[in-house]
Amino acid sequence: MGSHTHPSCAPDEPLVVTRLVKSALRIVAMDDAAQGLGLRLGMPLADARAMYPALAVAESDEHADRRLLDTVADWCDRYTPLVGLDAPDGLVLDIAGCAHLFGGEAALGRDLLERLAAQGLHARAAVADTVGCAFAVARFGGASLVPPGGMRQALMPLPMAALRLAPETVEALAELGLKRIADLIDLPRAPLAARFGEILVRRLDQALGREDEPITPRLPVPSYVAEQRFPDPIGLERDVLGTIARLAAQLGVAMERHQDGARLMQVALFRTDNKVYRIEVGTGAPVRDADRIGRLFADRLAMVGDACDPGFGFDMVRLAALVTERSEPVQDGFAQGELARGGFGRADDAEFSHLIDRLGARFGLRRVTRLIEQDTHIPEYAFAAVPAHAVRRSENAGRTRQLLHPSSDIRRPSSDTQDSLSPTRPVRLFGRPEPVEAVAEVPDGPPARFRWRRVLHEVAAAEGPERIAMEWWRDADGHALTRDYFRVESREGLRVWLYREGLYGRETPAPRWFLHGLFG
Amino acid sequence: MSAESSETLHALRRTVADITAGLPGEDGRLVSFGVTSLDAALAGGLACGALHEIGPTAPLHGGAAAGFAMAMAARALRGGGQAVWIQPDFNVSEAGALYGPGLDLMGLSTERLVILRVPRPRDALWAMEEALKCRAAGAVVAELASEAADLTATRRLALAAREGGGLGLILHPNTAPDDQPFCSQPSTATTRWEVASARGARDRFGGLGPTTFALSLVKNRRGRTGQWRLSWDHHECVFATSLSLPVAPAARDGSPRNVLPSNEWPRDEWQHDGQPHAPFVRAG
Repeated sequence: MGSHTHPSCAPDEPLVVTRLVKSALRIVAMDDAAQGLGLRLGMPLADARAMYPALAVAESDEHADRRLLDTVADWCDRYTPLVGLDAPDGLVLDIAGCAHLFGGEAALGRDLLERLAAQGLHARAAVADTVGCAFAVARFGGASLVPPGGMRQALMPLPMAALRLAPETVEALAELGLKRIADLIDLPRAPLAARFGEILVRRLDQALGREDEPITPRLPVPSYVAEQRFPDPIGLERDVLGTIARLAAQLGVAMERHQDGARLMQVALFRTDNKVYRIEVGTGAPVRDADRIGRLFADRLAMVGDACDPGFGFDMVRLAALVTERSEPVQDGFAQGELARGGFGRADDAEFSHLIDRLGARFGLRRVTRLIEQDTHIPEYAFAAVPAHAVRRSENAGRTRQLLHPSSDIRRPSSDTQDSLSPTRPVRLFGRPEPVEAVAEVPDGPPARFRWRRVLHEVAAAEGPERIAMEWWRDADGHALTRDYFRVESREGLRVWLYREGLYGRETPAPRWFLHGLFG
Repeated sequence: MSAESSETLHALRRTVADITAGLPGEDGRLVSFGVTSLDAALAGGLACGALHEIGPTAPLHGGAAAGFAMAMAARALRGGGQAVWIQPDFNVSEAGALYGPGLDLMGLSTERLVILRVPRPRDALWAMEEALKCRAAGAVVAELASEAADLTATRRLALAAREGGGLGLILHPNTAPDDQPFCSQPSTATTRWEVASARGARDRFGGLGPTTFALSLVKNRRGRTGQWRLSWDHHECVFATSLSLPVAPAARDGSPRNVLPSNEWPRDEWQHDGQPHAPFVRAG
């Protein structure tokens, strides 16, 4: 299948597409009008020009071809979730179990070709038991429907190239007089394999169904799928969301039967004109509740907004659970009352994780984070912000840690072992420590006053230094200097975390001061 | 009183109740401070299911305002539940990111806190409303610029808080010096606090004492306003009245304040009714 449009060329005028092959521009594709002129594929452009000086020429663009093929493959998802690419210009669809939805295999093929033709694409299709046979019949054969088990009859009259062989192999076979598959099909296998390689026998076996050939799907095949088609396209957001909610209910029933819940879901919106939007939503815990799934997609769509233009409407909506996880059924009827008594039960946990999912759907999962303690003494790396949906049941994690170290109080960071009346770490930390001008009475003593953001602060009290050396293997970069941290209270009561970078005299002659954080 | 007039009275009471629907109900949970005079002024404590605004008196007290919000969230979570803290990106670069060790030390456990970073301030409004509606969110803190939290926005938030029952805290970030103070904006918040850091007591060895806040309650729909100076014991998560203090928060306009000898400070009673800025201070 292929289609090339050239803006400067009227539809009826001959157009050829050329590419540099063997150091000459050769014709690699042409339209019907050009074919009518007697041009051939592989002919040098110079020869064609000599015959028809007015020939319109376009240069081939493999990337654009690939994009077009991807788009068409996306669109073919409407027939089956199992769509494989047969680059550069073919698609393989596994329609086992799907054909009856379209009124049979022949009707499906007709429907597909009609819809592609409506979009200006010339295509040929064949239905057969094997990929190899369908390939051969679609590209070289006449009939488009090979009856089950009829591969041999269908393949016999076709040329050798229909077996998906390298051009050299086809030429070599032709020199021996083997031009059609019929010439080859009953020959002894061992000499053929010895002379032309294993691949020839294998291709034949694959085409005849003697060897299995799986289709490699372009997209992951979901475990659960629900879809709805519309004879009349829908375009309103309300209708789309309503459809998603209905599909979610169907999906929920199926998932409940298998005690699964979805962690990653995808809605595919098939626009009438070939375009397919795929919108994904991830969750922190397995979900199968239709309302929740519906709300997640409502939030996601609100954020996607104009990027998802309905155009003339969507004629199909599919909801798929791409990643699922085992999820035991929960009886939550009794837990509802716990809130009223001031406690927080499992239902509230579920509700909170739903809130996290919704915030993640709206703003992106990376923006909803939990802080996880890290094993380092460098202040700025003490805690890492980890996407909240990836953190599993933090309380459980805490409990496990407590079991492992029953005596340690896991909630307190180690810095708190310094028993102080005031917190030893600030509540806010600047990602980039702010340089301050500070004056200390002695070179390695606490500061007496400092100027931060153009305001001079007199130090009323200071605690420190808390000396924090950087990791020794970081010597190469600029952050290797040892820091002396001071907790400082100004005359106005402002408490800040200052540090002096570099040990006076040993690491630097003029240490610089930075304000790293603010205390409460 | 006749039956008819009592019926009228009843109907009137119901109308009043509808009008004051923005107020939290009497049966709502309260987050007490543990300080008698302050709890009395708040009729028991900070009301859950309601909206409260916290802002620094001056830009440099932004850390103190954040610390106070953390302390209140920590107290609100003592019964269970989780907290959500919403930060617009701009605030993170301007005022600093939340720091895990500091949060844990203030008493707000990082294991029960989810932090949301939003690209724009008005996203923070949406997120806060959604978070407040969630019954499992015990406390929701949003850093919101004054201009984003207008009357309409705060009304929506207050209603959402009433629906979810969590403690809603709007934390105004460090405003630039010439910005309008957040208290000049109308709002449906139940209380409004101006927070400044205050010099705390020294410990026995001359080191820094407990974190100390100079609070002024400038709006209170449930009682009187006033000023308090509280220290926060982060080990026990309790507030205590702080008395041995040399300096009170500076007046917003920088005007000099009256001086009160330190030995005349009444114990626990030096908050002031009515006027937001009490005319007492002792020079340091």
